[in-house]
Parts: sequence; C-alpha cells; structure tokens
Amino acid sequence: MPQSTRYRGKTGQWAFILHRVTGFLIFLFILLHVVDVAMVNFPSTYNAIHRLYGNVLLRLFEVGLLFALLFHSLNGLRVVMIDFFPESIRNERMFFISVLAITSLLTIVGGVIILKPFFTGSVG
Amino acid sequence: MQVGFRSVNLSHKKERQNSGSRQNFEIWSWFFMRISGLVLIFLALIHFSMTHIFTDVTQTTVSYVAKKWANPLWRVFDWLLLTLGLLHGTNGVRFILDDYVRNAKFRAGIKATVYLISFLLFLLGTVTIVTFKGSIA
Repeated sequence: MPQSTRYRGKTGQWAFILHRVTGFLIFLFILLHVVDVAMVNFPSTYNAIHRLYGNVLLRLFEVGLLFALLFHSLNGLRVVMIDFFPESIRNERMFFISVLAITSLLTIVGGVIILKPFFTGSVG
Repeated sequence: MQVGFRSVNLSHKKERQNSGSRQNFEIWSWFFMRISGLVLIFLALIHFSMTHIFTDVTQTTVSYVAKKWANPLWRVFDWLLLTLGLLHGTNGVRFILDDYVRNAKFRAGIKATVYLISFLLFLLGTVTIVTFKGSIA
C-alpha cells in the first residue's frame, strides 16, 4: 500500500465521524424541509410553520444546521482534495484544523445574524 | 445443503459478474458523491444564506416563495438542490447502513424503506415546484 493512502486515524478519524454525523443530520433535515415547503399550496399552514421557525429553539436548530452545512461542505472539499491530490495528505491535520476554524468563524457570524431578531424582538 | 459441482461453478460465475458490476457501480457512486458534493456546496449555501441570513426565516412566507418562483430559473435551482441533495443524501445513508447494519435481511429492508421515502419526497418536491401557482401578494 502506498504511504500516501495509508489510513492513520487521529484527526482524519474525527473528520470522518463529524462528516457522517453532519451528513446524516442534513439528510434528516431535507426530509422535513421537503414536507414543510410542500405546504406552500396551503398558505395558512405554510405561514404558521414558518412563524414557528422564528422560535428561539428552532433558531438554535438553524444555527446547528448552518454548522453542519459548513463543516460538511468544507470537509467535503478536503476529502476531494486528498482524493485527487494524494500528496496533500501530508498537510491533512492542518487542513482539518482550517476546516474547523472557518466553520466555527462562519457559524458564529451567521449565528449572530440568525439569533439577533429574537433578542431584539424585531421579528418572531 | 449439498451443492453439486455444476451449481457451485455457476454460482461462482454469477458472483464474479455481480462483484464486477458492483465494483463498477461503486466507482460511479464515488465519482457522483464528489461531483454532486461540489455542486451542492454552492446550491445549499446560496439557498441557506438567502432564506436564513439575508432574509429572516419568519419572512420566508408564501408571498416570498411566489416572488422567488416567479422566475423559472429559481425553480430549476431549487429542483436541482432537491434532486442532488436527495441523491447525495440517500447514497450517504447507504454507506452508513452498509457499515453499521450487520444483518443482511434487516439491512436490505431498511435500505428499501429509505429509498422509498427519498423517492416519494422527490415526487412531492417536484410536484410542489412544478405546480405552484401562488400570486405575489
């Protein structure tokens, strides 16, 4: 087995687990989301559901969804890069830390925007 | 169970053919996950930022959808997101089931259920996007 493709655990293993968990959660959300959007032909039901999404618990859930989307996207890029450029596995740990850092930063920025209306009371 | 020489040979041949087409399928599956994943990064993040960041989620009402879907290109965008998202997600769940559900019959049953749910939601989503006729209120 070539050195470059050998499985080494450690950060790669955490990346793998987080990729699975976030992917599975996003899939469950898609199932729910297709059903709630299908209510668009029943306007009062649709609008009631989307008012519900303004609730603080569901806003926190949206921040979680943002984290999952960002991590799965950026880690997916990392996976694609390692697949197509196997030499880049040397910097695997650095890439994983970058993925986590960018994901966290964007989740915090997006999270503030998503949660702010609830605390200022401007909507929902 | 006693198995004759002939049938052993036949079943081996069949197994070889199966594993050949299975390998081929897995290569396409691997390739599909990379390509659809790259496309989905754009589709999903644009969609999320439109409906959660640049518009507050409570403002994504029926009239918001009507305004957006007045342009057929947004319907194509959302249909692509629906289709690629469900295919990418369903295939991902298939990997997970292959890894963790050890009982073959049980695994086949869960897979069939997941495929059916995904297919029904694909139909529901497609019908919703194609037939929506809401007016801009």
